[in-house]
Amino acid sequence: MRQLLNGNEAAAHAARLARVEVLASYPITPAAPAMEKITQFIAEGSLKARFIRVESDHSAMAAALGASLAGARPFLITNSQGLAYMSEVLYHTSGLRQPVVMAVVNRALAAPHSRFPEQGDAVAQEAAGWIQLFCENNQEVLDSLLQAFRLGEDEGVRLPVMVNYEGYIQSHTRETVDLPQQEEIDGFLPLMRRPALDVANPMAVNTVAGPELYMDFKYHQDAALQQAAAVLEEVSAAYARLTGRDWGGPVAGYRLEDAEVVLVAMGSLVSTARIAVDALREEGEKAGLLKIRLFRPFPAVAVRQGLPAARAIVALDKNIVYGVGGALGRELRASLYGHASVPVFSYILGLGGRDAGVADLAQIYRQVRENMVAGLTPAAYQWYGL
Amino acid sequence: MELINSLAAVPDTELFTGGHGGCRGCGAALAARQAMKALGPRTIITIPASCMATIGGSGLTTAWEIPFYHSLFECAPAVASGIRAALDIQGIEDVNVVSWAGDAGTADIGFQSLTGAAERQENIIHVCYDNETYMNTGGQAGSATPYLAATPDTPAGKPTPRKDMLAIMAAHRPAYLATASVAYPLDLIQKFQRAREIEGFRYIHILAPCFKGWGIKEDQTVQLARIAVECGLWQLYEEVDGRRRVTVIPERRLPVREYLRLQGRFQTMDEATIAALQAAVDRRWQEVPS
Repeated sequence: MRQLLNGNEAAAHAARLARVEVLASYPITPAAPAMEKITQFIAEGSLKARFIRVESDHSAMAAALGASLAGARPFLITNSQGLAYMSEVLYHTSGLRQPVVMAVVNRALAAPHSRFPEQGDAVAQEAAGWIQLFCENNQEVLDSLLQAFRLGEDEGVRLPVMVNYEGYIQSHTRETVDLPQQEEIDGFLPLMRRPALDVANPMAVNTVAGPELYMDFKYHQDAALQQAAAVLEEVSAAYARLTGRDWGGPVAGYRLEDAEVVLVAMGSLVSTARIAVDALREEGEKAGLLKIRLFRPFPAVAVRQGLPAARAIVALDKNIVYGVGGALGRELRASLYGHASVPVFSYILGLGGRDAGVADLAQIYRQVRENMVAGLTPAAYQWYGL
Repeated sequence: MELINSLAAVPDTELFTGGHGGCRGCGAALAARQAMKALGPRTIITIPASCMATIGGSGLTTAWEIPFYHSLFECAPAVASGIRAALDIQGIEDVNVVSWAGDAGTADIGFQSLTGAAERQENIIHVCYDNETYMNTGGQAGSATPYLAATPDTPAGKPTPRKDMLAIMAAHRPAYLATASVAYPLDLIQKFQRAREIEGFRYIHILAPCFKGWGIKEDQTVQLARIAVECGLWQLYEEVDGRRRVTVIPERRLPVREYLRLQGRFQTMDEATIAALQAAVDRRWQEVPS
């Protein structure tokens, strides 16, 4: 069934179709409408779930974690300050291997105060042990959220998943979204209860782990996270068989076959970059696009396989890791080092909602092309659009 | 429900067992052991950062015979809310969900999630085991630390009085509210028996001395907990629907001076301050009918 939905509505429908059982969320702009929509589903009876009207984002994450530990399928939504406030609970959730799914409506972190889109909030949590997916449009928001439950709950993974989409650009913009049938999703997402807190099988959770234990827990946690990339391929393929929509695995290429200069992006910039690549191709440019769908674990192997012909790579980052540069720029260089000597041109753009449109990406492309032809070594990173 | 009326009638089963990591004379461990006699095996407990979070489980061993989750410091009542929601959705109704925190996890760093859960009237029991200091980090002062108590970070005595958590929690109009003391096990056990029969948010605040923090000997834990009641500084009562009932009227009344002078932490308190404290206790003793 096709409907005109904004990103928040798409996320809410995903929660409904996934039959989430516990919603623990604290309102924050611009994510709050997603939470409200789910409470509306609960009120009208189209979703059987408990809403915990927590007093903070920290408690939201804690309540979702408690619900997961007691065997339910929870869901929550947040961003920016709320996500930062949750941070220590994010680590508990991944460390305890609980497959909690959370929508993150990316927004810039203060200070200075901002309500506008940017991916720095999710990037700041890159080491928290969560799987992180980024979506290019509202259909992918819905589809990735549904896939996230199956990915996180996979026996070989058992980890929490963050599904990212940008504030306003996605959360408040309507697009056509095809909603799968409930029966299809019920078959795709069977509920397998694995309560850690169960009176029939009492266990102590998160006891003190001394030096003889802690590191081994962390090894297994990291190994499970690494496993997520391959499981995402399987889950995406299964979802494609069900719905006909294939978002690919950890990465997806666009017009890459003979591309010499490849734009690399995640989130809404991907859909912008598609248009830019088409326009550049019209002009005879050998432009291509590599979409990063899975940011954590970072799919280094898939990235290398996706960029065989590239002579220059353009990392487009809607985030700034202070003193280092863009997260994608850094990851791309690390992934390619020792494998290929292709230069990575790293751009910081679109922070705090600053516009980054088709013309901007085309201009960046031309800049990079000139530098490449001139044989210039890329700067560590540069700011675009100041 | 049949109340346990004698020590002989207390069940033998230990759900917080021996072999835990608490010190000899640990008031907190006593409180947990006593409470579990009433709560029983169909109980899930979450305990935030505190001595109690660590002494019940370390490495691959645990002293808990019930499901136990050592949660983060700020959020045990929120975790308990999530557990309750998960049980509700699964149709599991006969399980007690307990968040059990120290005075820091209740009154200070944990207060935000506690007031949230209380305001939502979550169907959980929150227990504060109160040793009046941050013992898990070495005994620093917190908001539950009494006026002029010497601690590692208030060596000259804490300059401000103790926060009245019971008044604050009563203002949330909980379904059940009670004070308890490890020196009065039957009273404590009966309060947990009553609490588990009531639906809604329940708050039980237990005075559980710590010999290290209080500057007493390890075999004086129960004695000091008892004298706190006998001198009137700690009253044992319960409130249902806001109506208070005093549950223990001590057989003897002792001056607060005796309570204070037995402890190392009140050595800087002068006689005038003790007299003022005594006057305040006397006033309250007359106001609250026993």
